[in-house]
Amino acid sequence: MMGSTWHRLKADRFGVTGLVIVACFAIVALSVWAGLLGQGWTEVSGERWESFSASHWFGTNLLGQDILQRTLFGAATAFEVGLIVTLFSIVLGTVLGALAGWYSNTWLDEVILWLKGVLDSIPFYLFAAAIAFALQGNRWAMHLAMIITFWTTTARIVRGEVIRIKQREFVEAARAIGLPGITVLFRHVLPNTVHILLVQSTIVFVAAIKTEVILSFLGLGIQDGVSWGLMLAESSQEVLAGHFGNFIAASLALFIMLMGFNLLADAMQDALDTRRIIT
Amino acid sequence: MSTAALSVKDLSVWIETTAGRRRVVDNISFSIKAGEATGLVGESGCGKTMTAFAILGMLPAAGATIETTSIEINGRDISRLSTAQMRSVLGRDVAMVFQQPGTALDPVFTIGQQIIEVHRRHAGGGKNNNRQAMLDSLTQVGFDQPGKIAAAYPHELSGGMRQLAMIAMATVCNPAVLIADEPTTALDSRTRALILQQIKRLQADNGTAILLVSHDLSVIRQSCQNVMVMYCGRLLEKTDCQSLFAHARHPYSAGLISCIPQISAKMGSGIKAIPGQVPAPSALPPGCHFAPRCGRAVPQCESSVPALEPGTEQGVACFRPL
Repeated sequence: MMGSTWHRLKADRFGVTGLVIVACFAIVALSVWAGLLGQGWTEVSGERWESFSASHWFGTNLLGQDILQRTLFGAATAFEVGLIVTLFSIVLGTVLGALAGWYSNTWLDEVILWLKGVLDSIPFYLFAAAIAFALQGNRWAMHLAMIITFWTTTARIVRGEVIRIKQREFVEAARAIGLPGITVLFRHVLPNTVHILLVQSTIVFVAAIKTEVILSFLGLGIQDGVSWGLMLAESSQEVLAGHFGNFIAASLALFIMLMGFNLLADAMQDALDTRRIIT
Repeated sequence: MSTAALSVKDLSVWIETTAGRRRVVDNISFSIKAGEATGLVGESGCGKTMTAFAILGMLPAAGATIETTSIEINGRDISRLSTAQMRSVLGRDVAMVFQQPGTALDPVFTIGQQIIEVHRRHAGGGKNNNRQAMLDSLTQVGFDQPGKIAAAYPHELSGGMRQLAMIAMATVCNPAVLIADEPTTALDSRTRALILQQIKRLQADNGTAILLVSHDLSVIRQSCQNVMVMYCGRLLEKTDCQSLFAHARHPYSAGLISCIPQISAKMGSGIKAIPGQVPAPSALPPGCHFAPRCGRAVPQCESSVPALEPGTEQGVACFRPL
């Protein structure tokens, strides 16, 4: 089945475009982690606010640091935030959503739904600020705030899907061969939600990167490093003075990467929709 | 007399509804010998499927409770087993074939993976052992190329092939009892013949006792030795297939038989339907449940409940049998 999914994705021109864009950014991020790219992001390599040139493609910032180097490093930051937040919030959301759906209308479902309701009702930026304050500027405070609030969407979707799937006959059939309930849930019900989880992952990934930018802009985000959000925060002072380097580099990178992810998510949604082949 | 492979005594199923507790299966008892098949026939909603699930200890609806003296498989009572003990019985001693083969197989695993899962769970053994059992099981239900079927996903097979695969899955551990819930309802007549052939083979070759749930008397006639007629949760008649078709004793059984369309019948002669509707479970008549629709009913039928003679293999629950 994965084979035919790949074929459908390959046939989708926008999907392939998205995949190529995401792959490019992933390669940049990997190169940064491997120490091949963007290592000069702290280095003062020129005058203050140099304009675009061959040696500084996007010019330099207030301190004379090369903006291209900082943009490349920002890609790695974005991926780090995206991957960590996506991994933990999807796993948390899947497990809690699956349990709530499987034991729907029991106390467990009630507790999980109550937790989700409480978290959803807290204004997010207030919550992020509270966690940042509570953790005394710990560098993982932002990740934690996102993980704690982002799992609820995944849990809601998974819960609904599990409730839908558990009424299907193959779940009854799995019990009729003597599988314990929890095995049926994780072996037979959850694999049927994989297509939703993959799409949901790309959506959470995009949301995490966007939120990182906003939080960094507000000073609640990245503490040790550089991100596109921090660059945009810097540029808010510079644009009025006519220095567009930070602004153009960060927003261009952000825009292209998010567009790539959205194209990919959209194409994956079409390619993975198993309802088309399952009667 | 040898002990029966499946013996059910005084089985009742209650369902909790907003309007109160309702008995959807009413105190039924029967037994099936090894190598024999018994058909359970009745109109939709009369409790056939409930009976099947109750035997497996699987309650389809929340708030359902089972009451029974005993449910024995080869002399071992399974009605009092814990959930964990029951899991080792399901799939090994008693297996089930479902009505919709399209939805009873997990769409994300291949046929082979699903059959192996059953065998690994109950028979254990090495990887090769499990795979060989799976291939044997597929060969036995009549697939020429079991390897090819094993590698296929359910959506790649036709309805009939899926149902054969389902039978292979149910019988891979060679269970003593097989419960088939409307196994042929969704299939065309040629495929139906294939499935019924498999049911006969299982009786003859493996000595499996089969409970075949169906609303279709002709299916039961082709594959079963015995038949039970169910109406509103009660057994009205228990007999062997030949006598039922030669001489049905309960007016309801006779009505069901006359409902079978005859290809030899004259055009326009119509089908003799049983008059009236199955009463709602909330409004069951106090005496014989069939009395309001029965042409032979006498006042006694409406006040007291006729009983099947307990402990007999054959019988009819009627005050005025045919």
